[in-house]
Amino acid sequence: MITVVGAGPAGLAAALSAANAGESVELIESGARLGGQYWRNLPNSIVVDQQALNHDFQSGKVLREKVQAHPNITVLLNTQVWRASHEEGISILHTISGGTTREIRTNKLILATGAYDRTLPFPGWDIPGVMTPGGVQALLKGNNVKAGKKIVIAGTGPFLLPVATGLAKYGVDVVGLFEANRLRRWIWQLPALLNNISAIKEGASYLHTLRKFKVRVQRGYAVVEAHSGSDGNLSAVTVARVKSDFSVIEGSQRKVVCDVAAIGWGFTADLSLAGNLGLMQQVSLLDGGTYVVVDEHQGTSQAGIFAAGEITGIGGSKLSLAEGEIAGSAAAGSETNTSKKRKLAKFASALLRTYPVGPNWQSWLKPETTICRCEEVTLEIIEKSVLDLGATDSRTVKLFTRCGMGMCQGRICGRSVNDVVARISGKPASDADRVSSAARPIASPILLGELAQIPIVD
Amino acid sequence: MIFFFENNEIHAIAGQTVGSALLENNVRVLRRTRFEGAPRGMFCGIGVCFDCVVTINGVANQRACLVEVEEGMRVEGFQR
Repeated sequence: MITVVGAGPAGLAAALSAANAGESVELIESGARLGGQYWRNLPNSIVVDQQALNHDFQSGKVLREKVQAHPNITVLLNTQVWRASHEEGISILHTISGGTTREIRTNKLILATGAYDRTLPFPGWDIPGVMTPGGVQALLKGNNVKAGKKIVIAGTGPFLLPVATGLAKYGVDVVGLFEANRLRRWIWQLPALLNNISAIKEGASYLHTLRKFKVRVQRGYAVVEAHSGSDGNLSAVTVARVKSDFSVIEGSQRKVVCDVAAIGWGFTADLSLAGNLGLMQQVSLLDGGTYVVVDEHQGTSQAGIFAAGEITGIGGSKLSLAEGEIAGSAAAGSETNTSKKRKLAKFASALLRTYPVGPNWQSWLKPETTICRCEEVTLEIIEKSVLDLGATDSRTVKLFTRCGMGMCQGRICGRSVNDVVARISGKPASDADRVSSAARPIASPILLGELAQIPIVD
Repeated sequence: MIFFFENNEIHAIAGQTVGSALLENNVRVLRRTRFEGAPRGMFCGIGVCFDCVVTINGVANQRACLVEVEEGMRVEGFQR
């Protein structure tokens, strides 16, 4: 029996390939439906033009139906793994579903827990109306709700294009798409680009649609401050021209009126369960993110545990599918074909090199800027903990200030705190610092009453 | 279907999340923070950031972006 956690592209592909190899598979998903963030599968009550929002909608539907119909696959929806551990070759997953807890033991586990938008703190980013592109996309794709009437899209990376395009097609006034990186960065990645004609076509089609709706794509610009109106909601953002290191070119600042600003800086892997299971992680030289270390066949540092998709490195849905397929076959002990994955991984690397996050985003911060949203810890407080109290690493800063100790457990601020502390202390964040800022003993919230139901075994 | 936010009637479609239905009805401020009293709303939209936590039918700290609306549900953001 093979257990798969996460039913996005990687998890679905893994479940199917393991099942096709003759194994029985249990697929655990925290959401109400299969598909994950990329392929949002909707209840019948919500009607959305999925084709308009997702280039790849049909392949997702086909894959989902195959998984649902496969006699070897059991799907557990609305099921959260809130804690995992690994002992003597057995992985133990503690799940909760509708208030009922359960323990699943498995000797073959595939983790495909995905990623979420990477955010950077900046003045005003806690004003209601500042959101992530993924959040705005989820509202539209999953709920048929437009996040606002006048929306600014900003940050960096190819994901900004489909988000802006979907909103424009739905009649939202997209007042601007501000991509911090310049197009000329692609020059260094031409071979990878020319090897992926389908990606060029997809990008060109988004740009074509945006032109049709008169959405201007401005490269080399960033949203550096958000402003609230008298009702406390977002009323405008300050946009500035930025250098390649993200420092602001003085005099270029201007205000853009909007009610929502969707700002994302690539993605952060959800490593909560990987950390619980003690999987080896490392900081990627490509984008500075922390990821699970895997071999060619998606095997992790723990025997019997495989990882696929964004938690092994940000690469998009196609790479996630390829990795999932390999992980499923490898877990089932079948032959794997890694050539497709290698090609897609090259292109993913090219994307990450083309859309980096410059270190001087920190120059946008003010002393009073919130860094940790949950515990309302400002830059000033973090500075004091380093300069006055003598903290030299993120962990000590966390103990002094509570940053990263709130409800999100550092999912949003963890990486930025590493960077901020490194700058103030003059001591670069070590890989251990970065891995530990994603360590969460409890992967998702659980009520004490639910905990109390679990029988105590000696 | 109908549910209530701070005792105000909100119309929603079955399957929508509480947060999306509130946004559709132009409710953007979901709560105030416990130290500064600063307004907060939907941020990550996918259950990661916990900025949109509200009290639903008396149970605190529910993520508005994840919980789907139910008929007659009572949602509170500010009373904490």
